[in-house]
Amino acid sequence: MIVGKNIHKSFGDLEVLKGVDLHVKPQEVVVLVGVSGSGKSTLLRCFNFLEMINSGEITIDGHTINPKKEDLAKIRAEVGMVFQHFNLFPHKSVLENVIEAPITVKKMKKEEAKKLGMNLLRKVGLEDKADVYPSKLSGGQKQRVAIARSLAMEPKVMLFDEPTSALDPELVGEVLQVMKQLAEEGMTMVVVTHEMKFAKEVADRIIMIDQGTIIESADPKNFFENPQNERTKQFIQLVE
Amino acid sequence: MPEIFVTVFDVFMRTYPGFLEASVVTLELTAIGVILGTVIGLVFALMKISGSKILRGIANVYITVIRGTPLIVQIMFLYFGIVEIYTMSNFWAGAIALGVHNGAYIAEIFRGAIQGIDPGQREASLSLGMNRKQTMQRIVFPQALRRSIPPLGNQFIITLKDSSLVYIIGVAEIFSLANREAAQSYQAFESFLVVALYYLVLVMIFTFLLRLYENKLDVDKA
Ligand SMILES: Nc1ncnc2c1ncn2[C@@H]1O[C@H](COP(=O)(O)OP(=O)(O)O)[C@@H](O)[C@H]1O
Ligand SMILES: [Mg+2]
Repeated sequence: MIVGKNIHKSFGDLEVLKGVDLHVKPQEVVVLVGVSGSGKSTLLRCFNFLEMINSGEITIDGHTINPKKEDLAKIRAEVGMVFQHFNLFPHKSVLENVIEAPITVKKMKKEEAKKLGMNLLRKVGLEDKADVYPSKLSGGQKQRVAIARSLAMEPKVMLFDEPTSALDPELVGEVLQVMKQLAEEGMTMVVVTHEMKFAKEVADRIIMIDQGTIIESADPKNFFENPQNERTKQFIQLVE
Repeated sequence: MPEIFVTVFDVFMRTYPGFLEASVVTLELTAIGVILGTVIGLVFALMKISGSKILRGIANVYITVIRGTPLIVQIMFLYFGIVEIYTMSNFWAGAIALGVHNGAYIAEIFRGAIQGIDPGQREASLSLGMNRKQTMQRIVFPQALRRSIPPLGNQFIITLKDSSLVYIIGVAEIFSLANREAAQSYQAFESFLVVALYYLVLVMIFTFLLRLYENKLDVDKA
């Protein structure tokens, strides 16, 4: 569904991604782990063309993207992204956040968009918050709105960059629950997270990234019980 | 009652019909200065944050020149530069000078507000498939505009007071009236005291209306 081949990305002299290959199959849930600064966010941002790769190839749903020639907005619409700090639009109500892109990008009729928006809010358990502003929500509620907002564009893949890292511990569960439900419905997902319980339960594959390269890629059982790389072993000891 | 109160009151009663008329001119100058300044400011703010080196350069030159020279010089410059060449009234020369002057300051207000918006807002918008223009129009700029309102209000008040400077090219606003009154009546102190009160009252009304508006915005957002 989303394939990265030999992705290189540098910021100035700092090479952050050093030839990453990642093949995410349709309906697959891949959890990305790695220490801070290893390049996890950068990789997700490259998949969404918020950062431009220096070399390599990105293919989405069988279509290899040439960022110079193509309309990046169209491609980004197919790849949903959920951020650590939610990034809800504070000047718009919850429902307006969700229906903004369908109306502006897809030119959907307002009535139709509202119906879609309410369905998605119901799905994340927040239909009663449709008319309030984000400032009135808890972190967990904000993140669930952000997920609904992404889903409104009917993306082919969803990228999550530490979606629960900014949350109080008691609010983490409600967000993971929504993500788990999405996974069960067959959404293709790439998730950066430190929630190992989630990784064990939901991931089809766990990938360890270290200093800009993938050093381990295995199903959860093998990843935790039989890691190949020394750094992975250290990492597992650290989080367990 | 001390003598001074009596003479100030006399001057006030004698001049208020003229001052009311001149107040309209002052308010018109302010309104045009602010509206024109906002339009110019918006254009130059967008130029300053644009990807084009040339546009950024033009905006930088404009802002540097306007902020680096006194308003009274700009008024004279525009007056002799424009009115002499094109037939234009003194009033319009003054109003345009105020607008051009304000434009530089308002450009900086808008630029600061736009750049002050969390980059995450832009990224979230782009990640939803909105293009750069839609992102600016629907996500970044509306938030920046809200943040600009307090400093813009401040700029409006400065404009109201700065409009007094166009007396130099003979526009009949309230300061020029006070000036004439002072010369004719030999009651300079009283005349300038009265005009000071007019400015003070106008500024207070402005400030009050701005505060009402800001409160309304806060309530909307809550
Ligand atoms: N826009 C940027 N400019 C310069 N350096 C960056 C930028 N974004 C990330 N980096 C650097 O790239 C490295 C990897 O960052 P990141 O992908 O955020 O790591 P992770 O998400 O795994 O913690 C870090 O050293 C970070 O400082
Ligand atoms: Mg990160």
